[in-house]
Amino acid sequence: MATNQELLNIRDLRIAFRTDDRVNPVLRGVDFSIPAGEIVGLVGESGSGKSVTGLSLCGLLPEKITNISGSVEFTPENHPIQLVGLPEKEFRPLRGSKISMIFQEPMSSLNPVLTCGYQVDEMIRLHLRYNKKQAKANTLELFAQVGLPNPERIYNSYPHQISGGQIQRVMIAMAISCHPKLLIADEPTTALDVTIQKKILELLVDIRDKFGISILFISHDLGVIKDITSRVNVMYRGVIVESGETKSVLDNPEHLYTRGLIACKPPLYYRPRRLPVVSDFVDIVANGDYFDFKPTKKDGVEENETSEKTSGRHPILSVQNLVVKYPVAKNFWGSPTSWLRAVDGISFTLHKGETLGIVGESGCGKSTLGRTLVHLEKPDTGTALLDGKDLFRQRESEWRRNARNIQIIFQDPYSSLNPKMKIGQAIMEPMMVHGLYQNKALRKEKMLSLLDQVGLLPEHADRYPHEFSGGQRQRICIARALGLDPRILICDESVAALDVSVQSQVLNLLKDLQTQLGLSLIFITHDMSVVNFIADRVAVMYKGKIVETGLTEDIIHHPKEAYTRDLITAIPKWA
Amino acid sequence: MLLYAIRKLAYGFLIIITVACTVSSIIYLSPVDPARLSFGQLSDAGTVEAKRKALGLDQPLPVQLLYYLRDLSPVVVIDKNNPILESYSGVMFSMSSTKTFVIKWPYLRESFQSGRPVAEILKEAIPLTMILAFCSILLASLLGIILGILSAVRHGTWIEQVAMVVSTIGYSLPSYATAIFFAIVFAYLLQPLTGLHLTGSLLEVNDQGDWIIEWKNLILPVVALGLRPVSIITQLTRSAMLDNMMMPYVRTARAKGLSSTVITYLHVLKNAMNPIITGISGWFASLITGAFFVENVFNYRGLGVITVKALLDFDIPVVLGAVIFTCVMFVVINILVDLLYSVTDPRIKYS
Repeated sequence: MATNQELLNIRDLRIAFRTDDRVNPVLRGVDFSIPAGEIVGLVGESGSGKSVTGLSLCGLLPEKITNISGSVEFTPENHPIQLVGLPEKEFRPLRGSKISMIFQEPMSSLNPVLTCGYQVDEMIRLHLRYNKKQAKANTLELFAQVGLPNPERIYNSYPHQISGGQIQRVMIAMAISCHPKLLIADEPTTALDVTIQKKILELLVDIRDKFGISILFISHDLGVIKDITSRVNVMYRGVIVESGETKSVLDNPEHLYTRGLIACKPPLYYRPRRLPVVSDFVDIVANGDYFDFKPTKKDGVEENETSEKTSGRHPILSVQNLVVKYPVAKNFWGSPTSWLRAVDGISFTLHKGETLGIVGESGCGKSTLGRTLVHLEKPDTGTALLDGKDLFRQRESEWRRNARNIQIIFQDPYSSLNPKMKIGQAIMEPMMVHGLYQNKALRKEKMLSLLDQVGLLPEHADRYPHEFSGGQRQRICIARALGLDPRILICDESVAALDVSVQSQVLNLLKDLQTQLGLSLIFITHDMSVVNFIADRVAVMYKGKIVETGLTEDIIHHPKEAYTRDLITAIPKWA
Repeated sequence: MLLYAIRKLAYGFLIIITVACTVSSIIYLSPVDPARLSFGQLSDAGTVEAKRKALGLDQPLPVQLLYYLRDLSPVVVIDKNNPILESYSGVMFSMSSTKTFVIKWPYLRESFQSGRPVAEILKEAIPLTMILAFCSILLASLLGIILGILSAVRHGTWIEQVAMVVSTIGYSLPSYATAIFFAIVFAYLLQPLTGLHLTGSLLEVNDQGDWIIEWKNLILPVVALGLRPVSIITQLTRSAMLDNMMMPYVRTARAKGLSSTVITYLHVLKNAMNPIITGISGWFASLITGAFFVENVFNYRGLGVITVKALLDFDIPVVLGAVIFTCVMFVVINILVDLLYSVTDPRIKYS
């Protein structure tokens, strides 16, 4: 029964999307409630239905193809409002004024051709009936409240002129502008750097305290959930498998799936030999529309390992004083007058068989560095010696011949595979380009063995990328890169777009492959705990320069630079 | 911004010079003798030779080209006793006893056929074409944008399907076919109802021998000319609107509680403007330079009719004049459109 303090009460919420020939259930009976003035977490992996839940509370699901049933009682004032089946005409006045929402992609969530100020004003004028002048004054005050520097400037800025963190602050200012009772935050910090994430989370707590707004915080990140929520609901494929006080759920998870989810997040202060994955804890068997969870027999073994490897110290790639710069301003004749030094004089050595982690926040130049090493960007000055030959002083033809030595795997497995090419074909194409293996039969043989190596089946070769999940696609990308027998593999945020459980599978795979093949890895990431698991040595980048470098253990346990310390402390603690 | 415009203008000049050189080379290299053409068959060799000399056709091609560019250039240094000076309209500054510095309008020479200055001939035709092009593009833009928005908003309904089928047909029909079709239906079969003429220009001579403006002669050419742009603009608007309706900012706008009208007309349309502007400006530029087929079908005496007639008569100065005007219009419209982009989309900044 709903008590008086409960702002939102969801009972047996079922949502399904109709396609031409079938109905796909997304929520299969969800129950939870949000007490007034609390921050409640909703955690799950992609496809679990957590975002759909959020959108349904705002009435933002596409009406034409959505089947929705159950009950959502929302009590902003004295009388509860039934949100399920509420006609659009009555729902619209609630949106923004009683329930508001912030989203994951800060860069695309604001209209690019309207000023930030206008976009907030517009809402205040609509719901609070302020005139232009009052609205502006109100907006400027809100901007100051959410900690935006120089509100007047932000007011007149377009979204592309301010940073992602600032946009998310504008979004928050917008969301709280009309004093809503409920704020739905759908992965609001996922696309942000950890240091900025920390500040945004603080802001959300602050807002709750100041205005008494209840927040439904949707996230895949247990660390963030632990930091900010008082209650949590764990979701798997459209059902809540466990819910309760955040602390007790995360410290003593009862449900097997929760246990698996918690275990597979890479730890920060010790280093397991392998990362546990969800399937180490639970066998999930589809049973009609529902799922049965059974414990697996396997034990999640966690051996500690030190980062110093026994690998011999043979340098394989040595980069000296690399500078990559982009023109930011040009004069009348088109020659640049000022430059952005994305990579500003970087030197490092990569040894045979080791993994070098390159960590930094967005915009620090870490991706540019990786792309330059595979000739996707042009270096300005500097050398990169591979076998005593400078990669940057090679002729195009010579480079092409040697390109197979260094391969790269990108962040987004969805856009880095050609959607019109079967994956077997995609894996064989680079081999063909480089003239490896004499004929098609041999290439096919190699391709099949690669699929096996990355844990895919031979029949997968004839399928198209859209038939695979994100984790499988990243495996395909890995297989494609390995087809050329590279000596160095660059992973540019290669696990950042994946769910934690899938992320640990891919990280385990990379580690196994490295041991088997003696690969040298350059692992570019923003995530310290990923680096801790995979890297032997770490270089911390800031504004195009390496500020600190050393063995992974030393960097994580005894960071010397203030910036490195900030990076580590900003990670939500929860273990 | 200003620097950008200046640089664009400089490029524009280069383009104009290149076009002038290319077109005049092609024309002069062809085996027809304009001097001979201007007299017909009865003239004797001596007269033709004299004419050829007068037109400068006896000179080698590069020299002819240089002379042409000299006449075209707005500033020039020239001998004081050069007879060409009489044809220039501008200001002269004496430099020395023999040389003079002239700032002038580009001199497009005289028609081989009528002997009238080309500038004068163009001056009569250009306003007619401009009015026609402007009315067509106005009609096409209004109708196209409205239909495009409608079919995007009513995505997946019969309205969208009808709009798409009609616009595909409209785009596939060549303008001379639609022009003839409209002429037959509205100015012949339905003539008693519509009162429209089969052919006619905006400026006509009435029974009293006075020049009058016949606005109704504009109707059929405008519609015939506007049909293809309407189709294109409809489709461009629809796809740009649909693309933008998928964007996360639309979801944000809905979450703010804005009405779908505000979202469509303010948020989405403003974002969809750039491809639409590109489409409209491209069509406007090509319409301004003369709708050859449509003008000829209706005998609407604009740039199109003049150019085609000049081509048939090998009236080289008129052809060149028309081509250069076309070129200038393209350059000018392109610069204006670039500036317009930066107004509709703040992310575009020229420096």
